[in-house]
Amino acid sequence: MDFFYLLLQLISAILVAPLFDGISRKLRAKFQSRVGPSIFQTYRDLLKLLKRGRTKSHSTSYIYQIAPYVLFVSAAAMFCALPIAYDIRSSVLSQFSDIFVLLYLGALFRFMFIIAGIDTANPFAGVSASREGTLGFYTEEIAVICLVVVMMGTGSTNLAYITNLVQEGQYGYAFPSFSIAATAFLWVMYVETGRKPYDLAEAEQELQEGVLGEYCGKDLAIIDVAILLKQFTMLGFFLVIFIPWSFENPILSLIAFLAEVGFLYVMGVFIDNFGPRFTVNNGIKRTMLFALAISCTSLLLYIMGI
Amino acid sequence: MQTIYTLFLLTSLLSLALYKKPLLAQKIGFGLSSLISLYAAIFFFSHLGETMTWQLPGNFISSPLFRLDSIEMFFSFLVSLIAFAVSLFSFDYAKFYEKKANLAVFASLFNAFILSMLLVIASDNVFSFMLLWEMMTLISALLILINDGEGAGKKVMIYLGIAQIGASCLMVALLIMASFAGSFEFSKFADLNIGFGMSITLFTLLLVGLGSKAGMFPFHVWLPLAYCQSPSNASALMSGVMIKVALFAFIKFSLLLPQFAQFGYILLFMGALSCIFGIIYALASNDYKASIAYSSCENVGIIFLGLGGAFYGLGINSPMIALMGFIAAFFHILNHAVFKSLLFMLSGNVFTATKTRDMDALGGLHKKMPITSIIFFVAAISICALPPLNGFASEWVIYKTMVMGGIDEGVASRFFFTLAIIALSITGAMAIMAFSKMYGSVFLGIARNTKCVEEAKEVSFIRLLPLGLLASLCVGIGIFMSDVVGMLSKIVLTLIPQTSQSVFGLISMPIIIMIMLLCAIIPFVFLYLLKANHKEVRVTEPWACGFLYNKNMQIGSNSFTGDIRKALSFILRHEQEIKIDGYFSKAVYTQKVHDLFWDKLYAPVIHSVMVIADKIGIFQNGRTNLYAGYILIYLCFVLIFGYYYL
Repeated sequence: MDFFYLLLQLISAILVAPLFDGISRKLRAKFQSRVGPSIFQTYRDLLKLLKRGRTKSHSTSYIYQIAPYVLFVSAAAMFCALPIAYDIRSSVLSQFSDIFVLLYLGALFRFMFIIAGIDTANPFAGVSASREGTLGFYTEEIAVICLVVVMMGTGSTNLAYITNLVQEGQYGYAFPSFSIAATAFLWVMYVETGRKPYDLAEAEQELQEGVLGEYCGKDLAIIDVAILLKQFTMLGFFLVIFIPWSFENPILSLIAFLAEVGFLYVMGVFIDNFGPRFTVNNGIKRTMLFALAISCTSLLLYIMGI
Repeated sequence: MQTIYTLFLLTSLLSLALYKKPLLAQKIGFGLSSLISLYAAIFFFSHLGETMTWQLPGNFISSPLFRLDSIEMFFSFLVSLIAFAVSLFSFDYAKFYEKKANLAVFASLFNAFILSMLLVIASDNVFSFMLLWEMMTLISALLILINDGEGAGKKVMIYLGIAQIGASCLMVALLIMASFAGSFEFSKFADLNIGFGMSITLFTLLLVGLGSKAGMFPFHVWLPLAYCQSPSNASALMSGVMIKVALFAFIKFSLLLPQFAQFGYILLFMGALSCIFGIIYALASNDYKASIAYSSCENVGIIFLGLGGAFYGLGINSPMIALMGFIAAFFHILNHAVFKSLLFMLSGNVFTATKTRDMDALGGLHKKMPITSIIFFVAAISICALPPLNGFASEWVIYKTMVMGGIDEGVASRFFFTLAIIALSITGAMAIMAFSKMYGSVFLGIARNTKCVEEAKEVSFIRLLPLGLLASLCVGIGIFMSDVVGMLSKIVLTLIPQTSQSVFGLISMPIIIMIMLLCAIIPFVFLYLLKANHKEVRVTEPWACGFLYNKNMQIGSNSFTGDIRKALSFILRHEQEIKIDGYFSKAVYTQKVHDLFWDKLYAPVIHSVMVIADKIGIFQNGRTNLYAGYILIYLCFVLIFGYYYL
């Protein structure tokens, strides 16, 4: 039964994610005084990609071929690690729903993304692969500093257990370190969704980047879904720790969760739309140092026992 | 157990006796050593948890005792397991050094090296331990010299120099401990009656003495020099197991001291520094072997984090944290032995095929050496600690230990454990970058220097077999994580006898793998349902914005880490030099990364020693009567000193 809910959680996210993407595209178009595509455009894009043929550069090896599937598997498994349709009562899945499992699956995603980019021998892919790794270096430490506060505050690395504690009010915003960590964590999770001013995974390659520059056809479709799923996971990661809503009925909590994530995803447009895109080091200096400072403050508070 | 030692000794002598027929000696030497170490591995594994003793027969000045307890048995097993894989690999690989050295000597040294490590582990007496310890260092130095070349002498001198600093600290510590215990036998060292100050001093001496051998920061400078110079099978053994022997000795000796929580703090701090500096240099290095070597420093740091948790647990009398910490450290020791020796052997494969260690010259090697490439991929995933392989399993246990240690009320423990977790996570992110860069620029893309890669071909089956075995161990240990942890906890419980607790709250690797497999099916279902286009893939040139594609457009390993190097420039000093002669000639761009601690810590010391040696030089002028004069003056001084003070 647990696995059924897990599958339900995953499939519904895959089905709903493109809709929120469409809404955010529409919204972005409105900001820019354009009419914009319909909110179902992302579905159409994906379907179209599935019908198209594929190309690959002659330099590529097996990595290029397995990368879309590995990316999908790691993004999907990350999403499964979020305790939404299941909770601490599921003895099997709570052995899986762990903060470090989630973080290192994210690392697997990044590793695969980088080597797939290098494998194409495409100049733009290489540069953005480097950018991806550098961003990972910056975000990981802030995310972990925030998570350290939570993990040590609750004494566990188990996500389902942490969610349960916060829901029952035994741990939560009464602790200043927790609430300050929430701010920095949301910031980092926004960065991890791969949007401006830090990143733009699906950017036009001549202008910006193109880890995905060589991909097309069904490969690109799978990677697109994987990226959407990863963006959802990252926002969901914030939600399950810092704003865990839950209902007795797993399906109800799943719907609430998806609506919540979708809302955050669409709200991201507000930052996305008005921010320029920096070079990595510049962007970090201008913005991410604040996040680091916030997370360090919360860590300091934790160490002092507040 | 005596049989194993004798067999190694005989094989070593036999290969040396075949001095005149090096090729035969190589086959016999490495072949026999692989058979013996396989037997040894099975022997030690089946006797895990038992105690064995053995006294050297005959009437020597002393007849030292050798003793294997469960922890010694585990480390002996580790040494022989890796030795088995490496000697099987060397059976074919050693031929590459035919012109550089006599293979008979190579095989003989190789066997002697394994023997010396096994004996160091078993030895139960200060004198035999120190003697064998120095022999291990010396034999490894000779193994480095097998690959004789420019600057080899200097690199070996640095290695020996740091080993000497370590050995002298170790000797002092052991002698002090022996004088407190009133015996030279380690088994009588327990319950030493020493105070806090003395314990910390002894602990620091042990940490310097054994940490320097293990490649701990700031004694890591010999790692890249020695490992790059030595043949790959020797570096696989040195990094895979010799480092572990040092860690074993560290665990064994520091457990004999009275325990304080401060030991844990020292270890956590040094471990965190080791992790971060090790991986920073691994990331910046463009030489794949140096990069793998630096990552040893990082992994030793990770092991120290686990040990830090363990010693902290012992210090505050919390057996649970101690148990978890030791399991974490032992688990990572096991994993590091497996994947680091695997990586070094793979680097040997790449080097024999391409004759270059420069990542900027390589690329596209996957097409020439597909199996090596796939095994390298597995090794890279497991050293980056990505699920579901073994590196992830042990790092997870370390994280768990850190979290358990950090929930304590004390500010100091919170500070050190959070520091450790953050260091570990930064290390994780940088390891991803270092190894994706290494794998990408060696095996993927298009060859940057076609000359190097052109003639590369896949190595023979006998060389791939041990690599395949180790790679499957990487996967196996990951999947059967809970069994491995169970086995390790039995060994660890002999170190902390007051407890009989078991580990709880582990993640379950099989479930992770099952969920990943479940997720793997979904895209195929969707592709089938939506009737995706499965037509043959068209092969094209890589896209270069409409320009004619050139292989130099690929990202180089320098530019790949350019942003991070810039951000870290406060600790990662580098010089870049651009040479341009004329408009049409090629610009030459070189970049050199400096090891800050070499420049600030070692270079001044070496420089001042050189200056002093220069000044002292006048005393050595070749005149015999002057030398006799020195002796006379010295004797007078001794007599005066003796008369007044003794």
